[in-house]
Amino acid sequence: MVSGSPSVMVITLLTVCLLATHTSAVYPECCRRYMTVKLPFGAIKGYSVQTVREMCPINAIIFHTKKGKACTNPALDWVMDYVNRVRNKAQMVHLKTSNAH
Amino acid sequence: MEADSVYNQWSLENDTDYGEYNVVEPCSYASNRSLEQVLGPYVHSIISILGFLGNGLVIVTYACYKRTKSMMGIFLVNVAIADLLFVVALPLIVYNEMSSWSMGQVACKLLRGTYSVNLYSGMLLLACISTDRYIAIVQARRSFRLRSLFYSRIICTIVWVSAILLSVPTFYFYHWYEPSHTRQIFMIHEENVSFTPHYVCELKFSDNDTAWRTKVAVPSTQMAVGFFLPLLIMIFCYTAVIITLLRAKNFQRHKAVRVVLAVVAVFIICHLPYNITLLYDTVEMFDLHPCEVSDAMLMAKTVIQTIAYLHCCLNPVLYAFMGVKFRNHFRRIVQDLCYLRCFSRASSKINTSNCRVVYQISDTNSSLNV
Repeated sequence: MVSGSPSVMVITLLTVCLLATHTSAVYPECCRRYMTVKLPFGAIKGYSVQTVREMCPINAIIFHTKKGKACTNPALDWVMDYVNRVRNKAQMVHLKTSNAH
Repeated sequence: MEADSVYNQWSLENDTDYGEYNVVEPCSYASNRSLEQVLGPYVHSIISILGFLGNGLVIVTYACYKRTKSMMGIFLVNVAIADLLFVVALPLIVYNEMSSWSMGQVACKLLRGTYSVNLYSGMLLLACISTDRYIAIVQARRSFRLRSLFYSRIICTIVWVSAILLSVPTFYFYHWYEPSHTRQIFMIHEENVSFTPHYVCELKFSDNDTAWRTKVAVPSTQMAVGFFLPLLIMIFCYTAVIITLLRAKNFQRHKAVRVVLAVVAVFIICHLPYNITLLYDTVEMFDLHPCEVSDAMLMAKTVIQTIAYLHCCLNPVLYAFMGVKFRNHFRRIVQDLCYLRCFSRASSKINTSNCRVVYQISDTNSSLNV
């Protein structure tokens, strides 16, 4: 029993390691600073909200643009103005979680 | 990369044409991710295996072989239990963190909570051990009254209860969820957005104020109670112990001093860098950083955290195996196992009850010798 349980544990750990190496790492990103210039409204396709209430350390509005995601400061007037304009136009896309894994 | 960021800066500052713009993208922490891909499966599993074997041996030795129950013995077993639970939780946390947290809400709260409880109880028990040695060596006259089994059980209960209480925020605020910025996107035109849903096991709050406060309070408490308090107690107790030992005329005193210094040095080497990083991280948390800086900071934290994890493999060596009594008991385990194995191999056809007899004879022999 004494020699049995550690070896079981070793095998379990090695299995866990093997499993772990085969999974791809796509970790949620976080904005850590903001854009210093104003975006053209025409470039914006949509937005999502990063909040300090979750895993990221700062609040941010992430605009999805033709050139990629843009981190902006929600304290700025133009940012909240864009958010309202997009919200009026947009329908929210609830991303489905069914195509996971 | 350098030239690229200079170009970005330049173009951002001179951007008057709204057709041309450069975006500040969210950080993906790519370097830290790839570092974790190496450290996670290999280094952390070695730490877990070594920690499991070392602390398992300490618990088995005390549970089965050590008849004289001392205050120190009870503390050492409790440290071993805390470290053992820690190294069992560690590979599961690492496994989940390397991909989308796949074990769900219960495992999230349980693993994060276990991690926190064992961190606190382990560190506080090390402080208790230093106090016990201080009373035994420096306050030797009070030693018999204070170092009773009754007191040590009460102290251990207090340590575990406070560790659990200190971990209540961790139990309460850690949740298993999809971060809202990856889950909900408001789009002007409906289009196919490719994404991979990703669950995390992280802090989650209902309002901003609680979020800011708790994100500072959790690591601050960990630094204060989980490091600086035990460190101060250990420095005070072991300084007094060393001074007393150096005054005494015992031929083994130099060895004892060396053991004490090793205990303190390993504690500081393992935990001081980690707690400094934790402090820096907590102070800078809400500040704005370029991605390269926050990625580098995370990488430093990942490496330094691994050094801190190493401590739970070293505790059995530093505390239990350095003791002469413990080593004797441990030798008996090895001998008994050898007897058992040799005998059962030689007489595999004879029934097993004989085996048990030999085992018991060897056990009584060795207990007479102690």
